[in-house]
Amino acid sequence: MLLHFDRVSLPDTAQNLRAEVRTFLTRHADHLLRPNSDFSSGHDPAFSELLGSRGWVGMTWPKEYGGAERTFFERYVVTEELLAAGAPVSAHWIADRQSGPLLLRYGSAQQCARFLPDIAAGRSFFSIGMSEPNTGSDLASVRTSARRTDGGWLVNGTKLWSTDAHRNHYMVALVRTEPPSENRHAGLSQFIVELSADGVEVRPIRNMSGGEDFNEVVFTDAFVADDQVVGEPGNGWEQVTSELGYERSGPERFLSAFRVFVEFVRLIGDDPAPHEAAAIGRIASHLMTLRRMSVSVAGMLEEGKSPAVEAALVKELGNNFEKALPEIARLAAPGGLSPGSFREAFTDTLLLSPSFTLRGGTREILRGVIARGLGLR
Amino acid sequence: MMNEITQMLVDSAARMFADGSTKAVLDDVELGVYPQALHDMVVENGFDRIGIAAEGFATTDVFELLKSAGRFAVGVPLAEMVLAARWVGESGDFVSIGVVEGARVAQVPWGRRADRVLALVDGAARIGHVCHVTTGTNIAGEPRDTVTLEAVEEIAVDEGPFEMLALSRVALMAGCLERVLDLGLTYAGEREQFGRPISKFQAIQHALAVVAAEVAAAKRAADAAIDALGGERFAQEVAAAKARVGEAVGIVAEAVHQVHGAMGFTHEHELHHFTRRLWAWRDEYGNEVFWQRRLGGHLAKLGADHVWDFVATQS
Ligand SMILES: Cc1cc2nc3c(=O)[nH]c(=O)nc-3n(C[C@H](O)[C@H](O)[C@H](O)COP(=O)(O)OP(=O)(O)OC[C@H]3O[C@@H](n4cnc5c(N)ncnc54)[C@H](O)[C@@H]3O)c2cc1C
Repeated sequence: MLLHFDRVSLPDTAQNLRAEVRTFLTRHADHLLRPNSDFSSGHDPAFSELLGSRGWVGMTWPKEYGGAERTFFERYVVTEELLAAGAPVSAHWIADRQSGPLLLRYGSAQQCARFLPDIAAGRSFFSIGMSEPNTGSDLASVRTSARRTDGGWLVNGTKLWSTDAHRNHYMVALVRTEPPSENRHAGLSQFIVELSADGVEVRPIRNMSGGEDFNEVVFTDAFVADDQVVGEPGNGWEQVTSELGYERSGPERFLSAFRVFVEFVRLIGDDPAPHEAAAIGRIASHLMTLRRMSVSVAGMLEEGKSPAVEAALVKELGNNFEKALPEIARLAAPGGLSPGSFREAFTDTLLLSPSFTLRGGTREILRGVIARGLGLR
Repeated sequence: MMNEITQMLVDSAARMFADGSTKAVLDDVELGVYPQALHDMVVENGFDRIGIAAEGFATTDVFELLKSAGRFAVGVPLAEMVLAARWVGESGDFVSIGVVEGARVAQVPWGRRADRVLALVDGAARIGHVCHVTTGTNIAGEPRDTVTLEAVEEIAVDEGPFEMLALSRVALMAGCLERVLDLGLTYAGEREQFGRPISKFQAIQHALAVVAAEVAAAKRAADAAIDALGGERFAQEVAAAKARVGEAVGIVAEAVHQVHGAMGFTHEHELHHFTRRLWAWRDEYGNEVFWQRRLGGHLAKLGADHVWDFVATQS
């Protein structure tokens, strides 16, 4: 059946973890001061390390590499609880979600042993280096290039929008290791670049909400040793496209505006006017459905499938929902945007909202992925 | 995952509906001609009895059957047949279901043919013999009559009859939405303009991607409400599903008509049989706002700091 989302319920083992996470969050409430639940706008290394010490970073990885060999469902519960509470997860987020699994799948045993334990401890943070000044959606057009040198490669070029590159330790950078040819996807490789190395210059870029989260990263003959090439040189394209199921279907794709909902319900109180109740119910009906779809994808991942199209569907619906939520709430909020916790969550989230349908693949690119899944292209 | 019995039920129903719910039959229904042949097939095969506990089916099977019925826009009032048999038992009578409106019962599918009608009022039900009928139709041309009853008796239905009927519309819509998506995909692949199938245009691809997302969400929402049958959260899950699926309807019907061009606006093309039913069913047994309010009222009572728990402890 076309794009079917199975009825998947979280197993009890996963549900039991929920109480533990909530207790943990209550104990560390001093880290939960942000008014939004956006996964990439709270960078708090101390908090990441606390999570690591609980075994909640790299949860699904082998114990030999510092993981906890837990299921995707258990990871799901931890991540959604953190996001819903507005916890600052950005420091370890990419390493946990993306870079670690990448190394597990394509990296050497030596790379896994070198990088994964620190990631799982919540002490080693990674950024993504895909986009460039002239490369956005058309990822295969990257120009950052590397040429051979003794024992490794010299990298030249510029990466852009690299989230947290100014405060993370490493970047997994997609670079050209062979000149462009007929096959646009050939000759690309992924390197683990140390962000503090010589020849790497990181310049924060202020975003429209005032935050300085993403960066321009310029490489000038930056040296990358052979043992920091992920998998085989030339295998980069397969690598960047293989993990889309993980990247696009998680709770971070529909919970970015969740705190607005909570504060909206608080503002309204327990005796809502009909239109206020309708707004709450409308938001909830979307949220409940999206979460179930996202859990279905977690189930597919647990079964070892790679549900790229289903993940694109969750992201498409989820990102639209994250943008619609503040609008539905705004128009039904009693007293409009008068000062208070609702206004704070709303403003914070609205200012971040343009990024929701851009980062991780734009809406238009996702719709293309879905259309391909439907057999239209 | 559907178990084997359910799968067999759904498969054989689909075969029967494909044979018995053709375009010609649907046209007839809208002229007020009852699809008797299909009705007889439903009864002969026992589909009207699957809601009766002793028949050995799960309650969820009723709604799996209705999803299939929605896919084919079946002309018989299957939801009413099955649920009436469940609540009233087998009687040989044609029993339909409607909602009390003043002294009468409104929104009764095929009330004109019914011997008796089960009337829903404030979460309870009563049943009586039909003594007067004012015929009417919904926007899809499906008979929705207003009847007067006599010899009325209270009847105990302890499983939320109004929610069950709302869920019947959810299931019908879920199946029907899937069909509308299929029609859109097929047409986009066949229709050529500017020397190529219109499915090759990005605008069409994106429109259908949005449709697919809405349909996937509607199906997942419907399944969740079906799974909540008999549980504590049934009323809230039905509320969420009826609201969410209803929202999908507007988006999907609009987009798939656009994809079909003028052809989809003709009476001859089958698309409207499905889109008009979607437009009708989203308003039956409470529209989106009706159910949003119920769900929202429930959450407001729980309070802001319990909203997440409500969402996260769902199955
Ligand atoms: C907050 C934020 C954080 C980010 N963090 C990172 C990061 O850490 N690392 C990283 O590598 N990148 C990061 N990005 C970059 C992100 O991946 C890109 O923004 C995204 O891939 C789109 O590229 P672009 O912004 O250059 O837009 P473009 O690709 O130039 O697109 C502009 C518009 O054109 C549309 N468009 C493009 N191609 C097509 C097409 N074929 N058909 C139809 N429409 C099309 C797009 O959908 C978009 O609407 C981040 C972005 C944001 C906003």
